[in-house]
Amino acid sequence: MADKDLEVVAVAVTKKTHKNRELAQLLTAASCALIGGLSQGANAADSWDVDSAFLLYSESDGRVSAAEPVISATKNFDEETKLTFKIAADTLTGASPNGATASDHVQTFTSPSGKGSYNAAAGEQPLDDTFKDTRIALSTNWAAPINRDWAYGVGGYLSKEHDYQSLGLNGSLSRYLNQKNTTLTLGLNLSNDTANPEGGVPTGLVQVPLSSSDSEFTQRSDAENKNLVDVLFGVTQVINRSTIMQFNYALSTSSGYLTDPYKILSVIDDNAGANFGGNFQSSGRDLYLYEKRPDSRLKQSIYWQTKHQFENDNILDVSYRYMFDDWGVNSHTIDAKYRFRFDNQYLEPQLRWYTQSKADFYHRYLNSSDYTSTDFASADYRLGDLDTYTLGLKYGYKFADETEFYTRFSLYHQESSGDKGYGKLTTQELYPGLDAAMLILGYKF
Amino acid sequence: MIKVHQGFAQTTLSSLVISCTFFSSALWATNLTSPATAKAAPHKTVMLPEYQTNQKISLEMEKGQVVLVDFWASWCGPCRESFPWMTSMQAKYKDQGLKVIAINLDQEKGQALDFLEEFKPGFSVLFDTKAELPEDFGVIGMPTSFLIDRQGNIRATHVGFHQKNINEYESAIAKLLAEKGE
Amino acid sequence: MRRIIHLVGLLALPIIVSGCSDMGVKPWERDVLAQQEMNLISDPLESSLDDHIYFSKEASSGGQGFGGGGCGCN
Repeated sequence: MADKDLEVVAVAVTKKTHKNRELAQLLTAASCALIGGLSQGANAADSWDVDSAFLLYSESDGRVSAAEPVISATKNFDEETKLTFKIAADTLTGASPNGATASDHVQTFTSPSGKGSYNAAAGEQPLDDTFKDTRIALSTNWAAPINRDWAYGVGGYLSKEHDYQSLGLNGSLSRYLNQKNTTLTLGLNLSNDTANPEGGVPTGLVQVPLSSSDSEFTQRSDAENKNLVDVLFGVTQVINRSTIMQFNYALSTSSGYLTDPYKILSVIDDNAGANFGGNFQSSGRDLYLYEKRPDSRLKQSIYWQTKHQFENDNILDVSYRYMFDDWGVNSHTIDAKYRFRFDNQYLEPQLRWYTQSKADFYHRYLNSSDYTSTDFASADYRLGDLDTYTLGLKYGYKFADETEFYTRFSLYHQESSGDKGYGKLTTQELYPGLDAAMLILGYKF
Repeated sequence: MIKVHQGFAQTTLSSLVISCTFFSSALWATNLTSPATAKAAPHKTVMLPEYQTNQKISLEMEKGQVVLVDFWASWCGPCRESFPWMTSMQAKYKDQGLKVIAINLDQEKGQALDFLEEFKPGFSVLFDTKAELPEDFGVIGMPTSFLIDRQGNIRATHVGFHQKNINEYESAIAKLLAEKGE
Repeated sequence: MRRIIHLVGLLALPIIVSGCSDMGVKPWERDVLAQQEMNLISDPLESSLDDHIYFSKEASSGGQGFGGGGCGCN
């Protein structure tokens, strides 16, 4: 009942985004309806804070580019009681690696819908250029104190793409200790996702058919589900007047359809002979299989963050995350930001380093001699050995009326690595890197 | 999973209902501590500079009045909210013998002065820049208010400032003012 | 391995909580922590945009937190 109301409100909100005043009125009405008696005590703290940002993301070599506007509006009932609505939209265009290896000849791939095909030139990384998507995401969150020692938050989330939907609910409970110098928080997030890929859900580790008239296509189901449960336990500690630290442990389980329906793998010929290391032939053409991942994943992570303000008012923000899961992925992330503060401006260099080890079932390609005995396989580089670096610079300006404008430019670099193959395959670039540029513009009022 | 969702939605709804009930009831009692068990206000003789007059005054100098001592700082949001209310209380109950004294705990006095310039208090403000008083008073949050009777004893304490409780705050003041000094 | 980590976590909790009771500041010493810039997540939208990018480009996601600290008022 409650989440249904939220949904109605959220949908109504999207239609009104063009005019902020209307939006504000609508949000007020919605929040009043939602909280009923609570909102009666109108007071000085009653105010709206609007936070908006726009992201442009662009990969080199004509790969993916994205634009994402976000706006969030927070109604402050008092110092700690808040209702937030957030809307994000993004559009993606461009080409994305389909998982197949580069080859010494032109490769032809069936498009995901089965209604067309695309090519990759000899020696080129195969990219699926049919990749195009628009996403709308809505979320709302309510946070309030229970009494001096306890606080809670509840929220809902809905996102929609033409081939993917996600619906989520979350809640958190916080306990303040030691004159609010220590905060213990328990958070829970549940989400139910549905994938309805173009062309239906392909059968994992089966040869990619030539077209949608193939029997593999006709027996496909339209949609598959995925469920996620995240539990987070965190301790936030005030160290001294200018230092605060947080330590979190998070457990995340997903179950259901975790495969990427658009990703495939090349099968490479490992029979001695002229085609050793070339594409293996089946039914008179190069053999590609749809990828297949296990239907459950358990991730755990440990996260530590510290923020410290120096005597000169500059702020250092450092965090580290270690994540490991039962797919065999281990990762380390270090993120550091240093904010130089001037009267009403700031300049903030940012640095991030990420490294992950590959999933057990990650294979850059499969071998002709044993691909039939494989249970799970994916050539998605995001599950392979990967190092990434982000270098960014942020600049912000605070106006006298307490509104703030900021902009940030960052460069993102990815390096993949792994098994180099054999025979003819060794002459191909199996792990091309990726460079991307990001620009964020933000305004808070 | 759908079942889980329904269950969760119910929990969410009931937690909202529970929180509504919570908020409609008071978080602290209107009842004053009885004079027999009330503690004497500490540091009555400490002299602190007053914003309005620049004179040093102490709490002892207000003996015979009902005093609302409020500890605050410029960076504290609820403190900001409490200023108009304290101004109106001072005006309304001045004749009955109420004295509102707000003790500022900013470590940098300049920030407090900017704040006072903006919020123009209609009550006395003292600067305790070295935080001599709050520890012994037992300030556990910002703001914390102490209602002191005509004999100099602390008869009520409230931590924080909540708009929804202002009627309770006011009735405690009225009750204490109605008590005649023996 | 996993069991060990759970165990370490459980053992560490009371140590963290009790050890932490010696740290911290008085309620009137929170002027610096009350600054918006000192929130652990001071720019939620910027963080959510980053999370969205990294989520779609890397195998790890989440783990970061939420509030705590701040003005500690009321």
